[in-house]
Amino acid sequence: MSTASSRSITRRNLLKTAAIGAAGAAAAPWIARQAQAKPASITFMRESAYVKEFDEYFQNVLATTYEKETGIKINYEIVAAGGAPAMTRLIAIVENKAPVDMAWGQQEWLYREALVDVSDIDEHIGKTQGGWYPEITRLSRWDGVWKSVPHGNIGQVMVYRRDWFEEAGIKTFPDTWEEFLEAAIKLKAKGHPFGMSMGHGYADNNSWLFPLLWSYGVEVVAKDGKTIHLDSAETARCVDYVRKLYKEGCLEDCVGWLDIHNNKAFLTSQISCTNNASSILLSAKRDLPEMGKVIDHALNPRGPKGRFHSLVPVTHCIFDQTPDPTETKKFLAWLLDPKQAAGWYESADMYYAPFMHHYDHSPAWNKDPRYPVLQKVLETGKLWLWPAPTDRKAGQTINTWVIADMFAKACTGASTKTVIADATAGLKQIYGQA
Amino acid sequence: MNHTAEAVRAVPPAAPVLRFLRPGLRPSELLEREAVFSWLLLTPPLLFLVAFLGYPFVYGVYLSFFQRQVASHAHFVGLGNFVELWADPIFWKAAGNTVKFTAAATVLKMVGGLGMALAMNQNFRLKALTRAFLLLPFIVPTVLSTVAWQWILDPGMGLINRLLIVSGLVTTGPSWLGNPTLAMVSIILVNTWRGLPFFGISILSGLQTVPADLHESATIDGAGAWARFRHITLPLLLPVIFIVTTFSVIFTFFDFQLVYVLTGGGPANATHLMATYAYSLSMNSGQMGLGSAAALSMVPVLGLVLVVLALYVRKD
Repeated sequence: MSTASSRSITRRNLLKTAAIGAAGAAAAPWIARQAQAKPASITFMRESAYVKEFDEYFQNVLATTYEKETGIKINYEIVAAGGAPAMTRLIAIVENKAPVDMAWGQQEWLYREALVDVSDIDEHIGKTQGGWYPEITRLSRWDGVWKSVPHGNIGQVMVYRRDWFEEAGIKTFPDTWEEFLEAAIKLKAKGHPFGMSMGHGYADNNSWLFPLLWSYGVEVVAKDGKTIHLDSAETARCVDYVRKLYKEGCLEDCVGWLDIHNNKAFLTSQISCTNNASSILLSAKRDLPEMGKVIDHALNPRGPKGRFHSLVPVTHCIFDQTPDPTETKKFLAWLLDPKQAAGWYESADMYYAPFMHHYDHSPAWNKDPRYPVLQKVLETGKLWLWPAPTDRKAGQTINTWVIADMFAKACTGASTKTVIADATAGLKQIYGQA
Repeated sequence: MNHTAEAVRAVPPAAPVLRFLRPGLRPSELLEREAVFSWLLLTPPLLFLVAFLGYPFVYGVYLSFFQRQVASHAHFVGLGNFVELWADPIFWKAAGNTVKFTAAATVLKMVGGLGMALAMNQNFRLKALTRAFLLLPFIVPTVLSTVAWQWILDPGMGLINRLLIVSGLVTTGPSWLGNPTLAMVSIILVNTWRGLPFFGISILSGLQTVPADLHESATIDGAGAWARFRHITLPLLLPVIFIVTTFSVIFTFFDFQLVYVLTGGGPANATHLMATYAYSLSMNSGQMGLGSAAALSMVPVLGLVLVVLALYVRKD
């Protein structure tokens, strides 16, 4: 309630108001300057690259160049490789609003709500760099808004010992899953089993199991993101196939492997074939040059419905806690300009295959005859749970290993009917139909 | 000691509190007062406990009643998360695995630790050095030692399978981490290896308090080694064994790093424990509420263990 005294203008009130006004007027230009000032630094979180030259190129060339050009220091925060540490850090950044401006995103379906709209950058790149591979837009563009800028795909392909395949009389890599099984049996008989991961990893398991399902026509969850299609004759066929492949053609250990284990088994000559990124080849070229000469890459075999690959995408995201989204976006746009980005991709021996068509015919692909197949993955690559939306439910399905466990259980003694029923029940629970 | 009387002396009536602040009071005089000094000592650990144990625990309890996903608002669901877990077969698999893992590892550590302590209590050359080496599994960071165990358990290159093959026991070594049963056996053995020194050293300290004259009298009375152990050593060690076991149950029940690094809970959830499952729900799937509920569902079992401990100590 107002009173007469509070309404009246006294000399003291007038002086006070005038002083505040004067101070405000004097401070206004300073405040405005502060508001417009560039940030002193931008913090960028990334998972450590398997190819150390990639991180070194960023730190020694890109970050220093940007600082020279703009005066903004780029803090490069690296977390351990392997999927899980980066995911944990990303979730912690989002939950705690940690002072990190941008990151190399993975599984952004879990935290899209905490990301800045980057449609302007994506649309510009799309127009100027030959357009995007369409499948990646299902991840980065959500409800019509781009929430991340696709960076590259970690190409998951079949990695095999060409010398041992030739010794077994197999001159070209199997074209179909049936031929793949025959090859596995032959190679195992010669003491060189396959090692197909089915444990609680994040890439090397799903990256052949989903393509196998797709190539037999299995949609785990329909495009509507509701209807569960797993329980089918085609799934049963795939489960039986994997059980046979495991029993007759694989190293027993692979059913429990995490992502690092198949690299270790391959590089210690325990297996002759696995599904992996180019990290095995790159490690062998660096540390085991003789083995490096006899390793080869091949596309996944095809099934009755075609040939498929899993995308293992990495993107760039800007967190909504960044104090200056405009400057962070400027840096991201600068980073992905081919003037900068081409050298960066190349420094990693194209370990990250760019999602822009601009790089389809980059001479960097010809550096080694085994690299182009990593680029071909983009043509038939699908996101896990395809054609279902890349939402939180898809994320939970992947991160609780519903599909990998279905196959692993079948390989360790459970019946086909049981494992499909268990996986379907798990999916129903996640998709809210239990 | 009369604790009540001491407490009355330590905490003077309300009015004299102001006397602490009387003009001219020197800091050294203030510190002389037991009530002030004890609180000064207690405050840092208390703040530490509140910040790093109390707050996360209370926040975890709060989250368990909400559907709360990463980067989104929370919706109150009451006991909804617990109901969802009740119907979740992986939750029950993880619960069963946790009980089996804890029980087997604790028994092995208890028996092995007792043996280790009895051996270490003997006089032999380099005893001090041997005792120091026995502590190594406890000192080395779990993640590092578990990575070493990954190599030891490797089917082709691993030390165990190499020894089995070289000794002619098998022609092909088993898959320690690929076979569901052996994977569980492996994580139990690695946990036992890591936890054994805790039991060994704790029981050894208890062993050294057993009066030698009791053994001498029993020997004179004709008691053999087993009879002396059964009727003198063991009864006197029981309080130490009980307390060490209780602590070990808690540590083992919550074990995370070992399984996370060695198997990730696989193959086919054969080694998934409550801690790894709660982690995969919260930190990998972003289901903070559901993950908190899974983690919290361990509390009643552990609470029961703590009640038993408290009752035992009180009785003592």
